[in-house]
Amino acid sequence: MKNAFFTLLFIFLFGNLCQIGLPWWTLAPIGAIAAFLFPLRTGAGLLAGFCGGFLLWFVAAVLLDRSNQGALSGKVGQLFLGMHGWQLLMLTGVLGGLVAALGVLSGKFTRDVFVGSKPKH
Amino acid sequence: MRILKLALALAATFLLLWQLSIPHKAGDKNLPPLGSFFNPFTGFWQNADPAEGFRGKGLDAVLPGLKGKVEVVYDDLLVPHVFATNLEDAVRVQGYVTASQRLWQMDITTRKAAGRLSEVLGPRTLNTDRLARRRGMVFAAENNLLGWQKLPESMRLLEAYTDGINAYIDQLSPADYPIEFKLLDYAPEHWSVLKSSLVIESMAETLASTETDLAATNTLTQYGQPAFDSLYPEWNPKQTPIIPDTGQWKNLHVTLPQVSPPADLLSGVETPDDNLFSDNELNGPDPYLRGSNNWAVSGERTKSGHPILANDPHLMLSLPSIWFQVQIHTPDQSCYGVSLPGVPGIIIGFNDDIAWGVTNVSHDVSDWYKIKWADAGHNTYDLDSEVRPVTTRIEEIGIKGRPSLFDTVRYTVFGPVVYDYDPKSPLRDCALRWISHDMPPPDGMMIFMLLNSGHNYADYKTAIGGFDCPAQNFVFASRSGDIAIQAQGRYPVRGHEQGRFVQDGSHWQNAWQDYIPQDQVPSMKNPSQDFVFSANQPSAAQTYPYYYLGGFDNYRGRRIHERLSALHDATIDSMKTMQLDNFNRRSADALPVMLKLLDRSRLDAEGRQLADEIAGWNYRYDADLLAPTLFETWWDSCYAKTWDEMYALFKTDRAVLFPEAWHTIELLEKDTSNRFFDHPGTPVHETARDIVLESFLSMEAYYHQNPDKKTSWGKAKGFAIKHLAQIDAFSRLDLIVGGHQNSPNAIKKNHGPSWRMIVELGDQVHALGVYPGGQSGNPGSRFYDNLVDTWAKGEYYDLLVMHSAEESPERILGKQTFSPK
Repeated sequence: MKNAFFTLLFIFLFGNLCQIGLPWWTLAPIGAIAAFLFPLRTGAGLLAGFCGGFLLWFVAAVLLDRSNQGALSGKVGQLFLGMHGWQLLMLTGVLGGLVAALGVLSGKFTRDVFVGSKPKH
Repeated sequence: MRILKLALALAATFLLLWQLSIPHKAGDKNLPPLGSFFNPFTGFWQNADPAEGFRGKGLDAVLPGLKGKVEVVYDDLLVPHVFATNLEDAVRVQGYVTASQRLWQMDITTRKAAGRLSEVLGPRTLNTDRLARRRGMVFAAENNLLGWQKLPESMRLLEAYTDGINAYIDQLSPADYPIEFKLLDYAPEHWSVLKSSLVIESMAETLASTETDLAATNTLTQYGQPAFDSLYPEWNPKQTPIIPDTGQWKNLHVTLPQVSPPADLLSGVETPDDNLFSDNELNGPDPYLRGSNNWAVSGERTKSGHPILANDPHLMLSLPSIWFQVQIHTPDQSCYGVSLPGVPGIIIGFNDDIAWGVTNVSHDVSDWYKIKWADAGHNTYDLDSEVRPVTTRIEEIGIKGRPSLFDTVRYTVFGPVVYDYDPKSPLRDCALRWISHDMPPPDGMMIFMLLNSGHNYADYKTAIGGFDCPAQNFVFASRSGDIAIQAQGRYPVRGHEQGRFVQDGSHWQNAWQDYIPQDQVPSMKNPSQDFVFSANQPSAAQTYPYYYLGGFDNYRGRRIHERLSALHDATIDSMKTMQLDNFNRRSADALPVMLKLLDRSRLDAEGRQLADEIAGWNYRYDADLLAPTLFETWWDSCYAKTWDEMYALFKTDRAVLFPEAWHTIELLEKDTSNRFFDHPGTPVHETARDIVLESFLSMEAYYHQNPDKKTSWGKAKGFAIKHLAQIDAFSRLDLIVGGHQNSPNAIKKNHGPSWRMIVELGDQVHALGVYPGGQSGNPGSRFYDNLVDTWAKGEYYDLLVMHSAEESPERILGKQTFSPK
């Protein structure tokens, strides 16, 4: 449980540091590094990775959207199948979550191959 | 097993990353790569500007090349007020701040002009690009530079402006890119002086490329000279030319050149029908879409005793708006007005001493010449007894995701052969002679700079003398009490009807030999009528000795003339009512004639009710009235039924010259049995009375079948201000406004007053202005369209003219300081 929390926190904090200057897909390697540092079972890793990535992208988007009072998300939503602002925020979170989760999964299986240790509880 | 799991996980991860890195389609919409677009750290969320306050990020900047410190104060409409110690610094910073608000607009405008859209949009814009290249847009822009380079001062300012834009671009990270770059998935590139030239060429393309040569030639071929002459009279006796005859041309004796008859477009074609085909530039009944109003009244007619100047240029309305407001303050000038993003200085504006405005001159400066090829490969052509080689220009058109297209364009002495890639085009053997291709005078770049810092009539006169294209009616007023107007431009001296039709390009005598001398360009200062005005109508009275080519129904001009003639004790408010005037002189001329011809005994009860509704109308195209909707449908139908012979040709894709509205009304009034009222193929001989009744009944039937269409004019018109990339979400589609192209408030479907300005000169200048847009080009900014509703309501802003960076704190949003390295 602790490692799941650390995974989430690592993705959220390290992601915030890295995402400003680096391309968006670096979120996947960040997830992989988290999996190396904080070993988890597959399901727990996926969930923690998803939550970390989701929070990372969702919170950043919510902050910008709130200060903008939803003006831009309303317009961009129209471009994406007529979504509402909140749906666009959720989609943002889900995309971040998926990228991080798959990063964690790849990291975990890489670790399993090369390090071979079982996750501790 | 572990390795297999790893392989699957990696495959899934890379598949996701790949899918998120490539563009997708949703229905007919192109979506950007989702990963970078949704990433809140660099994607579109970064364009969500704060809804309150002022985005302060990266405001203060070091700007290499500055000679001194420059302060920029943003007022509550996000208008930058630039305070610099010299003009070069001012335009450098103007470039920077303009780019910071309008970078994507500047990019896409110049891409369109240069035929470089396909580089970023792919094959779908290839034809647009090809035509831009083949019309010689880049050739023209390069020639501009060759002219300007002769005056180092011009280039110094242009380069400073360019460097300012590039300094802004260089400090951008992908997160800062305007949202359109993210949507269309490309990055901004450096600005250049050529791009500034392209912005000017883009205006020239909009304003000075209207011609009806092919349509007129087709129509002449179809109906013969006598019918042509009676259908398309060149002078409307009711019109009010910009410069009336005051005897100023009495001693001006001009010999107009003799030219050959129009070119025979039909020769060498197997079936004449093929030749009347015009593929991409079909002009409907109203090819003259562009219009504008300006006027100045002297102190004799104003309450304050000071002159007042007004200007509203009518252009395609878009978001971001074509104009960007700015004030430029240096020790030598303090000028406020609107600029074109990409061009240094202020185009329409005022300072403490003078105000000026522009409308487009409708004189035709674009002709077609049929080339007589001397060889089968079209590499040489006959000119009198000589065989001349074409010069070629190879245009490389980059296409996203595909190899470039290399297009060879042939240039003759007249200009480029635009359509020779299309064997079906009737203009395929024709060269385009267009004034925009010519090298401008060396001071061509400086004219707005000189106006910006002008103090009096002499400065105005000197400044605009170097202006060649697109020709403009420069209206002027000064604090010292002068008013003036000048139809400034470079005009060929034309023989009678020269350039009205496609010309014979095998004789040099048909070429433009000479230009109207600068001191004979129509102009007027302090006339006894105490006002000057223009609304795109012919520049001068018929006694002006040069041949004027270019139609324009002069309804706006006539209405403005009527109102100005009756004006006394005018104030800024009287000018507002004139700019917002929805009265339509064309309908006021047409309706009484049509009502007189209408046989009411043939109408049913509903028809009589509709006729009453229209008869009681005041000819105003106000948004909440029903009568204009009814009348407009009746008129359109009456016009179409009168000229049904031409519509029949038009429907088979042939370019046709449609008769002007004033001539149609004249026929309805005075020649009711004219043969064109008769429908070909019917046993009876229809007259104007039949046409008027038929069109009334079809109007009635239309509203009977579509009761939802019988609505107020504002709704019926369907007005929209579209985003430049036609993205609906970034457009304003919800506006309901009145106006008509023939009323001074010339709001059409997507076209209209792009900047309304009123300036009262005096001890302290008082100016109002508004445009349908906002200073920011960012759809995520509250300044994106914040002026639109004010504009739509017919309201104005008091323009804040600052004399120091410290004054008017209550209207200041923030400051930006630029320092030299």
